[in-house]
Amino acid sequence: MKPAAFDYVAPRTVREAVEALGAGRDAHVLAGGQSLILEMRLRRARPEVVVDINRVPGLGRLSVDGGTLRVGALVRHDAFEAAGAVPGPLGTLFSLAVVTIAHPPIRSRGTMVGSLAWGHPASEWCAVAVAMDAVLELRGSGGAREVAAGGFFHGPFQTARRPDELVTAVRFPLPGADTGAGFAEHRRTHFCFAQVAVAATLTVRGGLVAEARIGLVNAADRPVRARAAERALLGAEVVLPPAGHRLPGGHPFARAGEIAATADAAPVAEPYAGVDYKRHAVAVLVGRALRQAAEDQRSRAAVHRGGHR
Amino acid sequence: MRRWARREDERLLTGRGRYVADIRVPGCLDAVFVRSGVAHGVLREVDCTAAREVPGVAGAWSAADLMDLPACPHAAGDLQDLPPVPRTVAVGLSPEEAVAGREWPVLVKDRVRYPGEAVAVVLGEDRYRAEDGAAEVTFRIDPLPAVVTPSAAAEDSVRLFDGLSNIAFEGSAGRPIDEAVLQGAAVVVEARYRQQLLMPTPMECRTFLAVPEADRLTVWAGHQMPHRLRRELAALLEWPPDRVRVVVPDTGGAFGSKSALFPEYVAVAFLAVRLGRPVRWIEDRLESMLVATRGRGQDQRVRLAADAEGRLLAYELTIDADVGAYPHLAVGLPMQTAWMATGPYTTPQVRATLRSVLTNTMVTYPYRGAGRPEATVALERSMDALAHRLGLDPAELRRRNLIPPASFPYRTPTGRCYDSGNYAAALDLALTTLDYDGWRAERARRRADPAALPLGIGLACYVERSGGEPGGLHEFGGVEAREDGTVVARSGTSSSGQSHETVFPALVARTLGVDEARVRLAEGDTGEQPQGVGSFASRSAQVAGAMLVHACALLVGRARERAAGLWEVPVGEVAWCDGAVHAGPAVMDLAELVKLTGPLRVDDRFAAGMAFPFGAHAAVAEVDPELGTVRVLRLVAVDDCGTVLDPVVVRGQAFGSAVQGIGQALYEGFAFGEDGVPLLAGALLDYLLPTDAEVPPIEIRDTRTPSPGTPLGAKGAGESGCIGTPAAIVNAVADALRIADPGLLGTPLTPETVWRAARAPKLPERPV
Ligand SMILES: Cc1cc2nc3c(=O)[nH]c(=O)nc-3n(C[C@H](O)[C@H](O)[C@H](O)COP(=O)(O)OP(=O)(O)OC[C@H]3O[C@@H](n4cnc5c(N)ncnc54)[C@H](O)[C@@H]3O)c2cc1C
Repeated sequence: MKPAAFDYVAPRTVREAVEALGAGRDAHVLAGGQSLILEMRLRRARPEVVVDINRVPGLGRLSVDGGTLRVGALVRHDAFEAAGAVPGPLGTLFSLAVVTIAHPPIRSRGTMVGSLAWGHPASEWCAVAVAMDAVLELRGSGGAREVAAGGFFHGPFQTARRPDELVTAVRFPLPGADTGAGFAEHRRTHFCFAQVAVAATLTVRGGLVAEARIGLVNAADRPVRARAAERALLGAEVVLPPAGHRLPGGHPFARAGEIAATADAAPVAEPYAGVDYKRHAVAVLVGRALRQAAEDQRSRAAVHRGGHR
Repeated sequence: MRRWARREDERLLTGRGRYVADIRVPGCLDAVFVRSGVAHGVLREVDCTAAREVPGVAGAWSAADLMDLPACPHAAGDLQDLPPVPRTVAVGLSPEEAVAGREWPVLVKDRVRYPGEAVAVVLGEDRYRAEDGAAEVTFRIDPLPAVVTPSAAAEDSVRLFDGLSNIAFEGSAGRPIDEAVLQGAAVVVEARYRQQLLMPTPMECRTFLAVPEADRLTVWAGHQMPHRLRRELAALLEWPPDRVRVVVPDTGGAFGSKSALFPEYVAVAFLAVRLGRPVRWIEDRLESMLVATRGRGQDQRVRLAADAEGRLLAYELTIDADVGAYPHLAVGLPMQTAWMATGPYTTPQVRATLRSVLTNTMVTYPYRGAGRPEATVALERSMDALAHRLGLDPAELRRRNLIPPASFPYRTPTGRCYDSGNYAAALDLALTTLDYDGWRAERARRRADPAALPLGIGLACYVERSGGEPGGLHEFGGVEAREDGTVVARSGTSSSGQSHETVFPALVARTLGVDEARVRLAEGDTGEQPQGVGSFASRSAQVAGAMLVHACALLVGRARERAAGLWEVPVGEVAWCDGAVHAGPAVMDLAELVKLTGPLRVDDRFAAGMAFPFGAHAAVAEVDPELGTVRVLRLVAVDDCGTVLDPVVVRGQAFGSAVQGIGQALYEGFAFGEDGVPLLAGALLDYLLPTDAEVPPIEIRDTRTPSPGTPLGAKGAGESGCIGTPAAIVNAVADALRIADPGLLGTPLTPETVWRAARAPKLPERPV
């Protein structure tokens, strides 16, 4: 498990990085290295040149500008572990999702943008980005462009990124206080990738679902936005289900789960999770993530009301 | 006073451990093996030409190249062609006829029989360059259909060796069951279990460094049996054994996987000698996952019969065991399961039959537990099923059948003679430690509450065997008193992490009455201790510990004789106390005595009896039936290893083996592709081990029933958790789900497996 020989450059600016990527050789960006190094050691990736962006200043910035969050290419996973790192329900969603990514040493190196660039079907961030209408900022020899997360992922490890492009940042619109977030993940040990996971937000106005966002992790060959399930929830009355691990059969969250499993998901069989099982897990986890989102929305609304009293 | 729990910890926990890969030898070459990606096929051609052109590559060879290699002009020359891997016909476990005609070549000659089997070897100035070279070796294999389970392979529709059956061995223990007994029984539980193949997964994979010098070869290897390794290497090289020295430095675990001579070792030793250069092979994780020995691998059928009161009448166990691609120790290994099939119960009729079957997987071999987990899982899962069928509390069913303390030594229908035990005491301690009644109440509460996650309690009583089989129950070693007041304890065992450096000197110090700090252990070096058997079968404390106590007694005898001579008194008047000889007012410690009378060293061979450690494990598990996830809430392990030499060390063994038992129950296993190749693209992300985050609260207790097999009374402590824990966890899950067919819960209990089982027919509700 030793990588094939490669050249290494450590640019100091985005422009130098882009030049190195566009120099006509098979070049790979090194961000946190938590996927790339592994692939190189297995010789599944054999870059001619590795472009290490860790010395480019500014790429590690996390900033809020009006209603938008901007995550630079070197912001590590662990930056999102505290719910307050990002304002509002998005911060909650990130903090729930991030702790399911591998374990602390990996989270202290790996980056959110690196996860998006890598495009693993079981990546939590990819599904979160798709669900939350994130936009990727790319810079190549031809200049800068933006790609919506919804159109970025083309298949396992395949994205809209051109070989000479650096993903410099990803932007997320910040949902308002009438939104609640939930995240439900199913994996065999704390160490491994999800068999299935679901990110969900619910925006509730007047007791009814005004907007639902559902992202499915590892439920297809790429991250999936469960549009059919989202549509089915629009206008539904938000009634918190009774306590217990099972949702009552006719509950709108259970129905949304069924729809996500049958209409939105396109699971790929894995060694210890067949297609039927994965579909079933999608249904269960969508229900659970929605329940959690509804509870989060309710407690957020209560705090909000309390604050005005 | 002691900053470290164990003597070796100061070195190991401050980064000063020295493993084989840490040993720097100038000019050493790294070996990399080019491996088959096919499970079964005909090797058509191998071409190493391009590899030899790669900068930094010192050479590349296929099997054919090595046969053609001219004799080396080096002093050690005149080597034969690369010999096959020596078969292990150890103490009757692998009969000759099983191995005849089925040679295991070091490099594939014409037929690939397991995925990862080496087709070429490349030596480079370092591992990077050697891997660059390996990437340039081209070869072609025409695939053949592969068989990866013993049941499938036993049909012989695909044969691994032309003209020979895949069934390498058939055996049995116990007399055939009287069918009338089964017909007359109140209940007969019938079930099928699959004991999946497991990886031993030591933190350090295999290591082998061969350094030739003049007409000698020194080998550094993480190894459990350095003396056997030396003998086998010498035989292969056709050298007298004293020209080979094997040294075992710090070793990062073995669990059974480091006790043989493997193809890679043979290739490295041969090339080192041929080239007259040091060569090493440091196995990496992916390689290890493909070609390290596997454990377990049995397809089982059981019939367990009892009368209406739950008294066991008969038990029948039928095994198809996975040998892997070449017959080795695993041919006879399932006999261990057969001999231990009786378990801790008074069942009057027990019969086990087995077939050892070749499959297209890497060779099966003892893995911590070796044959006993398979016996325990089959019996204990059937016991729980029986209890449910009878409407009896599983603890009560066991109590009615456990062998009572007064019955020892106890001869089992499957040919074992259990040395000593109080099985009911272990069970009772497990139940009170768990708070069995409290959890039963919680289980009842949850069954009445539809919102609650179902909870189950699982028990497993076990008895196992430690020390080895007849013919291998001895160890070599001795003690030496030196002029400077230090004492050297020598032992033929070899630690791969079991704390020998702490335990043995303390034992010798206690026995002689000298200061522990003055006793040093010499072990794991055939240059220091010329003869030895090694460390496996939980034998080190039991056998080598007793050997050291015996050697101390010899040393004391000699010391008293010498003192009697010095003082001109009868030996009977010389007493031994606190590390010194006494006679009347005269006192002399060992150091002085040695100064006056010359070197004092005893070496001997000491044989122990087989011992039968036992215990009872109990688990509480909660199941999410919607997703099939299992959470172990509590695990209690009560183990009895006779006399305990060091409670901290024994506890560590119990804990570590329990965690491996959890792995067997819930996580570990290979999935195979259609082509018979294990799906390991994600390495340890595919073959999952329990990590610290998965380890539930484990409570470890012991009872202590000394073994009559040695004056020391210690039994083996190394494998308890692998034997007792898996069945307890699976039983807890079966109890939570109340499933009717125990065979549905195949291990590892993946979420999908449990989810499917949760939807299967339930047992009828009973007021248990
Ligand atoms: C044991 C283990 C468990 C893991 N479990 C999970 C898990 O549960 N969930 C999960 O999501 N991930 C998991 N990961 C992967 C981890 O999250 C990685 O960190 C992540 O996939 C990649 O981020 P990185 O910064 O490390 O990228 P790198 O490894 O540096 O790069 C990954 C790929 O993306 C490209 N790339 C990276 N950044 C950019 C950029 N800015 N512009 C263009 N291309 C870029 C690289 O060229 C490379 O091809 C796990 C990893 C390990 C080793």
